[in-house]
Amino acid sequence: MDFDFTDDQEMLRDTVRRWVERGYDFERRRAIVKAGGFSREAWQEIADLGICGLQVPEAQGGLGLGPVDAMVVLEELGRGLVLEPYAAVALVATSVLKAGHEAAAAPRLQHIAQGKEIVVLAHEERHSRYRLAHVETTAHGSGHAWRLSGRKIAVPAGGAANAFIVPARIGGDVDDATGVGLFLVSPGQPGVEVHPYPTQDGASGADLVLKEAGAIELIAPGAAFAALELAADTGIAALCAEAVGAMDRLVAITVEYMNTRKQFGVAIASFQALRHRIADVKMQLELARSMSYYASLKLGEEPAARRRALAQAKVQLGTSMRFVGQQCIQLHGGIGVTDEYAASHYFKRLTVIEMTFGDTLFQLGEVSRRMQTTAGVFA
Amino acid sequence: MDLAFTPEEQAFREQIRAWVRDNLPKDISDKVRNSIHLTRDDLQRWAKILGQKGWHGWAWPKQFGGPGWNAIQKHLFEEETALAGAPRVIPFGPVMVAPVIMAFGTPEQQKRFLPGIASGEVWWSQGYSEPGSGSDLASLKTKAERRGDKYIVNGQKTWTTLGQYGDWIFCLVRTSNEGKPQTGISFLLIDMKSPGITVRPIITMEGEREVNEVWFDNVEVPADQLIGEENKGWTYAKHLLAHERTNIADVNRAKRELERLKRVAEAEGVYGDGRFRDQIALLEVDVVALEMMVLRVLSAEKSGKQSLDVAGLLKIRGSEIQQRYTELMMLAAGPAAVPLDREAIAAGWQPGELDGAFVAPLASTYFNMRKTTIYGGSNEVQRNIVAQTVLGS
Repeated sequence: MDFDFTDDQEMLRDTVRRWVERGYDFERRRAIVKAGGFSREAWQEIADLGICGLQVPEAQGGLGLGPVDAMVVLEELGRGLVLEPYAAVALVATSVLKAGHEAAAAPRLQHIAQGKEIVVLAHEERHSRYRLAHVETTAHGSGHAWRLSGRKIAVPAGGAANAFIVPARIGGDVDDATGVGLFLVSPGQPGVEVHPYPTQDGASGADLVLKEAGAIELIAPGAAFAALELAADTGIAALCAEAVGAMDRLVAITVEYMNTRKQFGVAIASFQALRHRIADVKMQLELARSMSYYASLKLGEEPAARRRALAQAKVQLGTSMRFVGQQCIQLHGGIGVTDEYAASHYFKRLTVIEMTFGDTLFQLGEVSRRMQTTAGVFA
Repeated sequence: MDLAFTPEEQAFREQIRAWVRDNLPKDISDKVRNSIHLTRDDLQRWAKILGQKGWHGWAWPKQFGGPGWNAIQKHLFEEETALAGAPRVIPFGPVMVAPVIMAFGTPEQQKRFLPGIASGEVWWSQGYSEPGSGSDLASLKTKAERRGDKYIVNGQKTWTTLGQYGDWIFCLVRTSNEGKPQTGISFLLIDMKSPGITVRPIITMEGEREVNEVWFDNVEVPADQLIGEENKGWTYAKHLLAHERTNIADVNRAKRELERLKRVAEAEGVYGDGRFRDQIALLEVDVVALEMMVLRVLSAEKSGKQSLDVAGLLKIRGSEIQQRYTELMMLAAGPAAVPLDREAIAAGWQPGELDGAFVAPLASTYFNMRKTTIYGGSNEVQRNIVAQTVLGS
């Protein structure tokens, strides 16, 4: 039992932190938001850090590293509210591709590792409400020739993607996990429409509309749903780490404000009502950090234990993000609600994180359903 | 980073588990598992069993007769005993006064007092709070005047937990009114059989005598029972607080009680009720998060690499969780928690069996646990401390 980071992990953290601090300041981020929420140049800079292949196997030119390394990277990207879809590509899509048919997946993985391609999972639908098995998009065909029809929403950086990983239904009713396959779809072909839009956190999302669109099978039904669940849990762990980084920074900004802002002739940090509030904020931050570690450390468990742990983590993070976000705005007073000041942007990102890969109530349902007679970290 | 304990740590856990299985009396663990009142004899029996093994002072270094375990081993011992249904060791002797005697006592004092604590024979009480000094402990007034080779003690201590059983009491007393309140306090060890000491019960709302008033009327205390230097007692008391590590969160007991809550809810037919079940699920998340925070502290202690200043957070969260599980257990029992158990049973009420005992003490435990957010530095005082650390001002 050990929560220390290795020297390599500390170096990785330094590398990412330096880039965020020097290369991704608030003004640059604001310009990227204005330009649609995604910057090709910034993505290239992330690729140049050598981290796009973090979890791509070495055989495909990646680093073959694990969940804790990813956690370290995401904490730092979260600190700087980086808009580019690092986790979506380098962790979530990569997770699916590693389980996919080699002929289809290997070139994609190589290109991800080289920073040449943006591949994202397009799984959310208007009526799925976080249920991974609820898939209305259909697929028909065989072998290499498949046709997909349906609509996916809130696809991260959809407008910039070189390929989409799409869950589609081959058989069964609308909630049947065993009837879902995973397919690769390329944009720019007949039957594929991408409708990009800005999202609440300043990033770029898109709807993906498929009308008899050509697709390659990546994982057949049966194995596909297990891979989809693992990808979603990988995404949850990444979001937890990103949220910890973002909250850490937001709390630091708030503490600085409390110590400098004066009212009634004194720093507002001297008021006990506010001191107790910041203590409660610190509590939620440390609980979140603890559960973010838990999320990453449990990713390698067998599916049932992994799902239970990741749901627990997302419940804690959801609670923490909402409390820390809301209270840090409140502690700022008027300046907290302005677009000009950084705090509101942290709050918005934390809010969107809660609504990605299952919100707090959804994951609480998962925890509740999956409870056992024993309890605790090692139960 | 690794969540798993090492094979050596696992082997250590197994060793503790086997020993507890063979040595924890079943009548005692049955009471603990069902929140039944433990007598002095129950508590002393377990203390002496631990003492014989050399584990009553389980956190002690080897030089004072302890096992010399590291932070992880101590945690594993606490976890295995808690999960097996052992009573919480009464902390005043082995956890609170012993480290002070070790750090600041003379070799004679160490020889005189530590063996009785290690063996579990001598029951210690704590004399800190006074009627006028709760959160503002440094304002305490109980006076000790030096006369020759004695101190004469006058005043009153209160909230003395299980003071009716105490053989000895360690007290913070005022020896000077010069300077800041903290600088005139001394740390005295007092034999509770001394003439002039009166222990009076305080009955708390659940009807138990768990705390007491202790009165001192011209009590003579030999000067060789002063710890360290006169007027330095506040420093020693702070040292003691610094030694209350992760223990304070009591997460192992929380795990045991959460499991019990599930059994109670099942037996009472509300475990399948989504509204109730979700409340348990939320508590389960809270308990896992608390346990992770405790494990982070232990890991930091083990590696010495990063310091983690979260003792205040552990106290706040641990106490809130203790209150929450007792609350949910009571609510699970529902109307069967309403009758005042002992009197109702004496009057012929039949509560029915639940988990080997009856349901009614659940409400008593809920009432009893209101203390947890008040004692040991109220949670509001803890928030002040946390805020000080976070704000740096």
